[in-house]
Amino acid sequence: MVSFRSRWLPSLVWIVGLLLLWQASSWVLLHVVEASMAQSKIPYIHELIRTFITYGGTLFTEGSATFSNAALGFLLGAILGAVLAVLMSLSKWMEQLTFPYAVASQMIPILGLAPIVYGIMRDEQIARVLIAGYITFFPVALNMLRGLRSVDLSAVELMYSYAAKPWMVYWKLRLPASLPGLFSGLKIAAPLAVTGAILVELMGAQNGIGVIMLRNLYYGPSHNYMFWSTVIVGALLGLLSYLIISLIERMVAPWQPEFRPSGGDK
Amino acid sequence: MTASSTPEIQLDQISMRYQTNSTEVLALQDVTVDIKKGEFVSLLGPSGCGKTTLLRIMADLIQPTNGEIKVAGESARAARLAQKYGIVFQSPVLYDWRRVKQNINLPLEMMGIKKAEREERVDYLLELVGLQDFKNKYPWQLSGGMQQRVAIARALAMEPEILLMDEPFSALDEFTREHLNEELLSIWSKVGSTVVFVTHSIPESIFLSDRVFVLSPHPGRLSAVVDIPLPRPRTPDMRHSPAFYQLISDIRDCFEGV
Amino acid sequence: MEEKSVDDVYSWSEEGVVKVNKQDDPSPAPVKKRVKSRMKLQQIGLPLAAGIVMLLLWEWQVLHQIFGLQTYQLPIPSTIVEALVENAPLLLSYTGYTMTEAVLGMLIGSSLGFVVALMATAWPRWGRGGLLVIASLNAVPIVALAPIMNLWFGSGIGSRIAIVTVITLAAMAINAHKGMKMVDPLALDLMHAYAAKKTEVFRYLRIMNSLPYVFTALKINTTASMIGAIVGEFFFSSKGLGYLLSNSIKVAKMPLGWSCIVVAAIAGVVFYLLVEWLERRMLKWHVSHRA
Ligand SMILES: Nc1ncnc2c1ncn2[C@@H]1O[C@H](COP(=O)(O)OP(=O)(O)O)[C@@H](O)[C@H]1O
Ligand SMILES: [Mg+2]
Repeated sequence: MVSFRSRWLPSLVWIVGLLLLWQASSWVLLHVVEASMAQSKIPYIHELIRTFITYGGTLFTEGSATFSNAALGFLLGAILGAVLAVLMSLSKWMEQLTFPYAVASQMIPILGLAPIVYGIMRDEQIARVLIAGYITFFPVALNMLRGLRSVDLSAVELMYSYAAKPWMVYWKLRLPASLPGLFSGLKIAAPLAVTGAILVELMGAQNGIGVIMLRNLYYGPSHNYMFWSTVIVGALLGLLSYLIISLIERMVAPWQPEFRPSGGDK
Repeated sequence: MTASSTPEIQLDQISMRYQTNSTEVLALQDVTVDIKKGEFVSLLGPSGCGKTTLLRIMADLIQPTNGEIKVAGESARAARLAQKYGIVFQSPVLYDWRRVKQNINLPLEMMGIKKAEREERVDYLLELVGLQDFKNKYPWQLSGGMQQRVAIARALAMEPEILLMDEPFSALDEFTREHLNEELLSIWSKVGSTVVFVTHSIPESIFLSDRVFVLSPHPGRLSAVVDIPLPRPRTPDMRHSPAFYQLISDIRDCFEGV
Repeated sequence: MEEKSVDDVYSWSEEGVVKVNKQDDPSPAPVKKRVKSRMKLQQIGLPLAAGIVMLLLWEWQVLHQIFGLQTYQLPIPSTIVEALVENAPLLLSYTGYTMTEAVLGMLIGSSLGFVVALMATAWPRWGRGGLLVIASLNAVPIVALAPIMNLWFGSGIGSRIAIVTVITLAAMAINAHKGMKMVDPLALDLMHAYAAKKTEVFRYLRIMNSLPYVFTALKINTTASMIGAIVGEFFFSSKGLGYLLSNSIKVAKMPLGWSCIVVAAIAGVVFYLLVEWLERRMLKWHVSHRA
């Protein structure tokens, strides 16, 4: 109870407060300012909830189409990224070859590539998976490599003193040590993968949350609640992807300092 | 050293109970101590016996669960607000972004001392700890012993009446530690503050102190107060004197008694 | 410190990558120097050679044969360069437009984020909850933000600045807050012993301590701001690199589309290096910049 009140209560108050503020602004915009397209700009929350209930099925199917494509690409990108990281840590040669490009790719607005990839593929499914995968690939590779390299010299020497085989050093030491890095890469990449998938959908696809988002935007004010619902679904998908990864991290790598219960509340 | 009769620090029946989620630790029980003005005392005991806790109570960083503390007749809080304290921790706690001279400058800046006066003071302190040549270095460019000397200079910057030191040399090697012990005494003879020095080394406590407060663990209690009658100034060769060895074995006995 | 040097040349910060300049030690033996310079040559030469080989394979359409692509799908480098040269004035002015959006939005967003971090640290009980809400902003896809900002701020430059502001705010707030919280507890004790006021603790300790984290956030934000600006232009703009890119693809002018990517990439790298240069100048004392 104590932990609930000190940990979650403030967040809850914030959320409720912001929702109330939103609702009030919506009312002011509609009735006091009488702005044009007032409900498109700041829609009533209860109307959104009603739309969510009415069109829940559609939102769910389209949302899952987006999410599953993003997840597939994410998974592929993560696996390839992890493999590249291991290769880079194994071979100096490999590292010198790929590292500068991995670094440069982090400075480049990668999502700009979405239209190009879609232009090449002309297949929404493949394009979504490719973009999601590509966005995931480099952050995962770089962060995992950092983890693989973060191993203490004395920890390696300890393994050495046990006469451990090289694969053993990897299995028992370097891979576990790289997990925090891997997960921080995955956490960066997960919402980006969803973004990439929705982006491809906006370029012109047949299904997915991005498609109905665009469609309802173009239909104009009459569809504004549906449009806002799709935006919320998109945001929720991004959050969901992040939460899933965080949850897995807690199960797979629970020894990290952040997860330790701190004695007092400082 | 004969000190004046009014006690500088008075601890009366101090107890400290730590409350964590599930457990409760009695870190200190009924500690009563008087420390005279200008005296050099050590708190000696094995790790976990409450030395740091006692020091932090004196510094008004934590409040005891029971008992009373008086510093120069006032509360510890009043003494802290009057900036009577200089503190040195086990790690130097230097600010990475400040050069050596700026680190020493920190308390002076915070107290709003004028620039010219600050510079003069910092130069004096650098000379006192023998680091004139390093004043423009960053902390990481110094060895551990040098960093700790910067921390001491910083603690002395405000000419504190009371210098509190929590195992300041325990992270250093034996040779550096002995050397810094001698330097500390020579600095102390110039500034004349009251010093409370925490250590778990018996020889170190004897070499430095006028009196050694021996603490025993579980719960932390004051088990003995040992007077050190060695003359001042202390010299390195005293470490080999029979009196010194006798004191070591006396203090050892205090621990075995428990 | 939480950063670990990976090898002499590169080290990573919390997220994103930081390149650390390597200074030669003051008196290197000549042999050592030669070995070093050969290492350097290999370090630059190897990836450079690989890049050139890739470009040539692309130019000679070997890649096209492998992946079964036509040149109208994947234009070859020489036509991209051609498009680049032909449209240089347009590309340049659009780059200026897009960078204005990115830089302004990033400055506003990062400043706001820093203020949020200050407040969240000063009033931790309510601040942390608020920060949690802001952190969830971080997971909201930019593409969902774009239409909203378009509704709120119209289709002009303002809506992209708003997008960039929102996406850079969260990263700065979270990182700066981390830097202000993760101070050595003993350093706080020291401040307490000096009877420091809350504002002084910020002035002398927390803000300085947060600077490395602030720069980590700024580096994350350079890329994020470019992405925000470009993606924002995809849909509701009539100017800028993002607009030109998506429009070129729509009308099947692939080489022009690719030249937009090239320009955006160059601008992104320059922007990033600029922030990194600033970091090196301001954080001389930090672990990651020690010789
Ligand atoms: N903040 C704290 N919370 C809970 N228990 C503590 C805390 N600080 C110290 N203790 C406990 O109090 C006892 C004394 O600690 P301390 O004063 O640090 O001893 P020393 O400095 O002699 O090693 C130990 O058992 C320690 O675990
Ligand atoms: Mg201690």
